[in-house]
This record gives sequence, C-alpha cells and structure tokens, in this order.
Amino acid sequence: MIKHILISDPTLRDGNHAVAHQLTANQIAIYATAADEAGVPIVEVGHGNGLGASSMQVGLALEDDVTMLETARKHLSKSKLGIHVIPGFATIKRDLIRALDIGVDVVRVASHCTEADITQRHLGFVRERGKEAYGVLMMSHMAPASVLVEEAQKMELYGAEGIIIMDSAGAYLPSDVEEKITALVNGLKVPVGFHAHNNLGMAVANSITAIQSGAKILDGTARGFGAGAGNTQLEVLIAVLERMGYFTGIDFYKMLDASDIAEREIMPVIPVIKSESIVSGLAGVFSGFSKHVTRISKEYQVDQRDVYRELGNRKVVGGQEDIIIEVVMDLVRKKK
Amino acid sequence: MAIARNTLVFEDCKKSCKDPYTFSEFKDKTILITGGTGFMGRWIAEMINYINDITQSNIHLILLARDIEKFQVEMPHLANKPYLSLVRQDIRNLHDLPKNINYIIHAAGTPDNRIHVSQPLLTLETFYKGTQSLLNAASRLPELKKIIHISSHQVYGENDSDLNIEETFLGKVNTSNIYGESKRISETLCFAYKNQFKLPIIIIRPFAFVGPYHDLEKPWAINNFIRDAILGGPIKILGNGLTIRSYLYGSDMAQWLLKTLLIGQIGEAYNLGSKEPTSLNDLAKKIQLLVNPSIEIINKSSKSIYKNISNLVPNTKKITDSLSLEEAHTLEESIKRTTVWNQLKTNNEN
Repeated sequence: MIKHILISDPTLRDGNHAVAHQLTANQIAIYATAADEAGVPIVEVGHGNGLGASSMQVGLALEDDVTMLETARKHLSKSKLGIHVIPGFATIKRDLIRALDIGVDVVRVASHCTEADITQRHLGFVRERGKEAYGVLMMSHMAPASVLVEEAQKMELYGAEGIIIMDSAGAYLPSDVEEKITALVNGLKVPVGFHAHNNLGMAVANSITAIQSGAKILDGTARGFGAGAGNTQLEVLIAVLERMGYFTGIDFYKMLDASDIAEREIMPVIPVIKSESIVSGLAGVFSGFSKHVTRISKEYQVDQRDVYRELGNRKVVGGQEDIIIEVVMDLVRKKK
Repeated sequence: MAIARNTLVFEDCKKSCKDPYTFSEFKDKTILITGGTGFMGRWIAEMINYINDITQSNIHLILLARDIEKFQVEMPHLANKPYLSLVRQDIRNLHDLPKNINYIIHAAGTPDNRIHVSQPLLTLETFYKGTQSLLNAASRLPELKKIIHISSHQVYGENDSDLNIEETFLGKVNTSNIYGESKRISETLCFAYKNQFKLPIIIIRPFAFVGPYHDLEKPWAINNFIRDAILGGPIKILGNGLTIRSYLYGSDMAQWLLKTLLIGQIGEAYNLGSKEPTSLNDLAKKIQLLVNPSIEIINKSSKSIYKNISNLVPNTKKITDSLSLEEAHTLEESIKRTTVWNQLKTNNEN
C-alpha cells in the first residue's frame, strides 16, 4: 500500500524569519506560483510568527497580512493557502475573519507546547467556518511526551484535524522524535505531524523518523529557508520520501525548479548551519531568535554563543524576544 | 413556506409523547431543572409546554442556571409563559430552594469535554459541590416527591466488548478522566443522601443525543458531521470510523426523562439513550445521503489500524421495559429534523 504524506510548505512564512520578515509581495507571488506548479499541497504564508504578529516586539514585516495573503491567493490554484496563527498575536475579529475572507484554506493554530488551552476559540472558529484547522505545539522539546499528549488531546477536542509538533529550536535527535511522535500517535485520534529545524543537521533524518513513528504530516521549505539554521529542505525530503515509497503528490522535478527559483528570487543567503546555530540548537532556543541575537550581540560586543546558552538556561520561548536584550546586558555587566 | 423552529419542536414533542394525559399527576406541581437552560432543560421545557398546551395541566417549571439571558433571547416562545420561571444561580452556591418544589431534575454541569480538559477543577467542583449543594437544599423541601440525578455513561469506564452497556456494567476506569470521575463521585453522593436523608433519588446515565438545541459546534461526531454537511462538506471523520455510537432524539429524551420522574423506581439507575448502534462511517454516509449527496466524506486518523473499537451504546431494556418507553424517532428522522431546524431561521425571525 502506498503511504501518503501530507506536505505543508512554510517557505513564505518560516522563511520570513530568515529575512527579518522582509519578504516582498513580488517574492511571494514568484514562489507561490512555483510551489503551485509543483503541486505542493499547502503553502503557508505570512509573518514569521504568523498572522497579526508584525510588531516592534518580534519584528515589523515589510508587507501587511492582507497584501501577503491576497498576493498568495492570487497565485495559488491547486495548492491550499495556509496560515500560522498564534492566539494573542492574531485575534479572531481583527485578523482571522479577514484572512478567511481573503480565501485562506488551512489554519494552523499554534501555542507554546504547554499552553494548548489558548487555542480553543481559534480552532473552534475555523471549524465553524468550514475550513481546515490544525493544532501546532511549538518548542515541543521543552515538554515530556506525556505532557505533549495531554496538550495535543486538548487541541483535538477543540476541533484540530491534525496535531503538528514543532522542533522550533532544532534540538531533537531521532530518538527524541521517535519517543514523542509514537506517544502522540498512540494517544490521539487525528493525524500527527512534525516540523523540523536543522540546527544539528538532523532535519531530514528527524522528519523521516517522524513518519516511521507514525506521523502523516511533514513540513519542509525550499532550500530549508527558515528561521535560524533553517527547516527541513523540502526538495531533499521529497527525494528521500519518493525513494522510500511514500507519496506526496508533489512533482519532484518541478519542486527542484521551485527551489532553484526560491534560491534565486527570495533568498539573500541560503540557510547554513552557522556555529551559533549549533549552540542555539544545543541550548534549545527558538530559531526565530537568531536575527535578534546576532544583531544585539554584535551591537554590545558579546559572544552570541553565551547569549544562546543563557537564553536556554532561562527557558525563554517565542514571544519573549525582549529577554534577549536583558541577557545581553547581564553579560555586558559581567564582562565589566 | 418553511415552518418555524418552535413549530417543528412542538411536532416532535407530539410524536414522542403520544398520550400527554399520562402526566396528569404533574398537574399544578412544580418541577425544578438545574442546568435548566442547556440541551436537556430546553427539551424538557418544550415537552412541558406541549403537555400544558394539550392538557391544561398547569405544570410549573423552574429553570435554574447561571446564564438565563441567553434562554430569554433564544427561547422567547417559552421564556414568557406564566408557568415558567427562570432563576439565575450558580449551583455551587445554592442554599435555599422555593418550598413548593415537588420534583427535581439535576442536570447542571456541561458534558462539553473541551471544558473538562481546559478547566478540570471547575468541572470537578461543579459536579461535586454543585450536587451536594442541591441535595442539601432538597433535603429541606417539604413537598419533594422525586429527584433525578443526571449522571453519565462515563461512570461505566471503557467498554472493550461489542456488547451494549447494561446498568450493572463496570469497565476500565481511568482516574484521570475528570468528567467520568466527577460523575462517579456525584452518584456516590446521591446514594449517601438517599441512605442518610432518605432523599427519593433516581440516577439517569445518558449516552449520546441529537436534535435541535444541540450546538453543532460541540465536539461530538454527529454534530460536526451535520455542520460539515450544511456548510457544503466535506464531512470529516476524525479518528476511527469504526467507532460505534447511538443517538436518541431530543424529544424522545425529554419524554423518557419525564416518564422516569413519574414512575421510575427510587434508588434505581437507568440508561438513557438509543439502543440502535451505528459506526461513524455509516453515520457519515447517512448524513451525506440525507443532507447533501454530492459532498465528500474524508477520514483523518492517526492510525491505520486500531486494536480496539470504542463501543458506547446502552442496553435500554431496563428503562424501556419497566417504564413502557420506545424510540419514536429513527436516526434518519433525527438527522433530517436536526438539519432542517438548524437551517431554519431563529424563532425571533419567523
């Protein structure tokens, strides 16, 4: 029996982290067209932290949500348009209704891995509107498998049609993935998914471990374009999945073309695993912090690696970007 | 011309309750329903309205709930009836009840499992403390004849067999199941009050229901399937499509509850639900056929193969035989009525 894997591609969302949320409407149009041509099932678009997140706190996006979503909608015909939604950043009245009216098909409602409670209203609303709703547990390395199952079960009850855990820090080894995905598959009714980051060079391996443990949804981006060390490189993932006998519905050659286009048109720099990304992964720090850490560390002349270590010690999570400056100032004081 | 929602519901009550004069013993009596503005409370209110309308029995109804404004807005055809009173009260803080109460149906507390997982302490407190507050207050009522405590099928624990669940069944109990355990301790409280204070209590263990007044957003398969179908599909089966459930229609439920209140045996526990099993796969197909044959059914599941098939269907022999009850609405009729009701405009607009 051919096993089907649902691929969601956040090149135009997680990739926005990699360019400090400066993707242009034209770039969105170019990649959306290429991904649609390749038959990518879900193309996720928006600010790196999702709908409604553009702010001084986490970074101002070049384009507003409406422009990004309308542009993508215009260039997607086969692929579904997806968004990442963190309640708090995105409100139902101000953001979600408008996004659905623009024509968003898939909404992935995300929370920190121990705070699924905040997703109830958003998940419920998306289902009420007849759209696809998924639950996403971010920074999942910070909670044991049993807690992830409890939180995921809440999302399932709230209406999630699938639960994706994110290795937001790129901290997992395959054994971690196997333990957590297996527990989730056993504990949930709905399909389980995995979103990797590549800080330790494990993104493709971890994604494959996830499906071997029962996951049915994987995230990947062109050239791995995403926060920090980047995500699972989608064209590589498709190649490996095809070789292993999995079906994604994506045209491999056209996916390679889309990746080439993405490299040429939207990436100032192709993601690589920089030294500080390795430390970030080991410390378990949210990949979306990398631009901020680099900038502030440089400004105050402290070692980024020390900043990541301390952020890891403090168990800082996405949305707490203001702690970075606090950590840097502490290091400056200690240096004196 | 489309009928009004309340006309549809009135017709349903008529179909479920063929002889409203059966309830002549309730004439001029007062029935209190806690959690009175929920699914059960609304259907009982509709059935009492029907009985009063046909028999001029003047049965008084007190609906006690935290949110009575919603009922007033959504149920204007009942809210202004002279025999109906609405009392705003958190069951946990209940102290005294009107002295003229003759019957109580204790239905307070939501079966919505989203609330149970999000607010487990509130859930536990509502069922335990709320039940104790009610029973203390009930013990001081001079004219009290009977109390029905609405429990849950979840007190039975998991059923791994393919047999319908009898009232004596005891399955695998999970102490972390807040709702199930809350209902178990509430039943224990009822038995304690029956023994110590001689309160005339009957336990009802409901299974699944369908019908108007069930919010289609509640996290239950039949509600979501009907909603999906009304929205134009696809119908999404989340999890194992072989899961077995059964559904009793709202007006049948109300008729069965009132009959239990009338002639049920004090100290007994009765299942309340439909004995007709259906798999979720078959249910989805039925809804597709009845509501919109052109829509798609899709299955989203974490597993390809399941070791066990969940089977939550009551054996209803005890309640139907001893109280002479039957299911007046088939599943197909229930689906049709529920769909039509949800597609109709609200009573206010008719």
